[in-house]
Amino acid sequence: MSNRHRAARIGDLKHGSSGPSRWSQCRKRGIDGSLRSHSDEDIDDSRHSSFTTPESAGPVSRCGRQSDWGSQVEDEEMRRGVHRDMQRYRRRILAAEGSQRERKVSSGSSGSSCDSRDGESIETDEAVLMRRQKQISYGKNTLAYDRYIKEVPKHMRQPGVHPKTPNKFRKYSRRSWDQQIKLWRVKLHAWDPPAEDSQENTLSGNIEELDLEDIVDIELDFPTLADCQNAPSSLQVPRSSAQDQDCFATPVKVQKTEEPDVA
Amino acid sequence: MENSSEDYKIQSFDMDTQKLLKTALKDPGSVNLEKVSNVLVDQSLKDPFFSKEAGRICFTIVQAEAKQNNGAVFRRHLLNRLQQEFKQREETRKRSLQEWVCYVTFICNIFDYLKVNNMPMVALVPPVYDCLVRLAQPDALLNEEEVDCLVLQLHRIGEQLEKVNGQRMDELFFLLRDGFLLQEGLTSMARLLLLEILEFRAGGWMLSSTAHKYYYSEISE
Repeated sequence: MSNRHRAARIGDLKHGSSGPSRWSQCRKRGIDGSLRSHSDEDIDDSRHSSFTTPESAGPVSRCGRQSDWGSQVEDEEMRRGVHRDMQRYRRRILAAEGSQRERKVSSGSSGSSCDSRDGESIETDEAVLMRRQKQISYGKNTLAYDRYIKEVPKHMRQPGVHPKTPNKFRKYSRRSWDQQIKLWRVKLHAWDPPAEDSQENTLSGNIEELDLEDIVDIELDFPTLADCQNAPSSLQVPRSSAQDQDCFATPVKVQKTEEPDVA
Repeated sequence: MENSSEDYKIQSFDMDTQKLLKTALKDPGSVNLEKVSNVLVDQSLKDPFFSKEAGRICFTIVQAEAKQNNGAVFRRHLLNRLQQEFKQREETRKRSLQEWVCYVTFICNIFDYLKVNNMPMVALVPPVYDCLVRLAQPDALLNEEEVDCLVLQLHRIGEQLEKVNGQRMDELFFLLRDGFLLQEGLTSMARLLLLEILEFRAGGWMLSSTAHKYYYSEISE
């Protein structure tokens, strides 16, 4: 059926050997008529650069990128999850800010709380977020955590009493963050299943020496963002969007026990 | 409904395997998911029909596992096995054309069914393209089986693939145009399939109704 056509074309085109080059030489336009560019090659990478902050000039971290597909997809999943969480977190901050302004809340800590919720104070470095998310995931991937969330419903959890997942979007020093994770894991161990289960012993063994005071300090120092969450219903923070994630119900200012350079 | 169609597909396995798969669908935490993934891949490589539909079973197991314990063990094993097969695809193709075609069908089916936050898995994009580009090479275009597989996959996932990486789709279609126009020895059926897929993409991954009529209704001479 198209033989006629084909014969006619082949005469024109028979000069090169096979390969896309001939065609691409004469057809450089896309469907929309504009010249094809090669810039759309890596969607992946473009999302990357917009996602990380400019100041993180280091190597674009894939957070221990591995070559097997299983791990790649897991990384990808985590990266997307972190990105999605961040959007929620920003929306949430905006919402909280709005209602805060209306209510003209001013407390002693308002100064620090204000600047702590500035956009710039959000951790946006993908490498950092991925690393933190991984630590959180390890913590959540425990029998103790399952038992904890089952036994203590979200609205029953009290600051200072119950473990709260550290907020990965706050700017913390590495040390401060790691410490928060440690303390969180320590508290989670209270929900370890009764007997056996010795796999985490090394971790808890290390940490048992920590001062109880530290823990108390941290949980008691518990200002704004979390207040918004636990505040009266007049605040109307969109609870549903936060239900499946805990990053809002986290201590805001843990630096207190840490080195001051983060403040 | 869904279950019964899965049961139907599962019936091609022996009793023990059927039991394994059924448990994997209901209670994935209680079975060896690496074994399950191997069973599914092995069957897909043997059975052309199964390779077209196995994505759904895999999807169901992935869902069940995520729901049950937030795990992704099955997916990890599945993908890594796929990767292993991918590395030896050229040998597979030499050994058995059917197995090679089944492999491509299966990996494309997985690409189609398994998503990460409703987006295609980026890790699979390059290998899927590599497979399709392989099918578009002159030696493969001479096998109707491979052309058939190529266009079927493009019908199913072409649009998604193009969205994730348009440039590689462009390159693939350079090959397809050249194949259609220039390659000697193509059967008219292969040419017809190529022409259709060219039109299909040109129409924004849709056939116009007249094109559809042309390709799919009996010719009235």
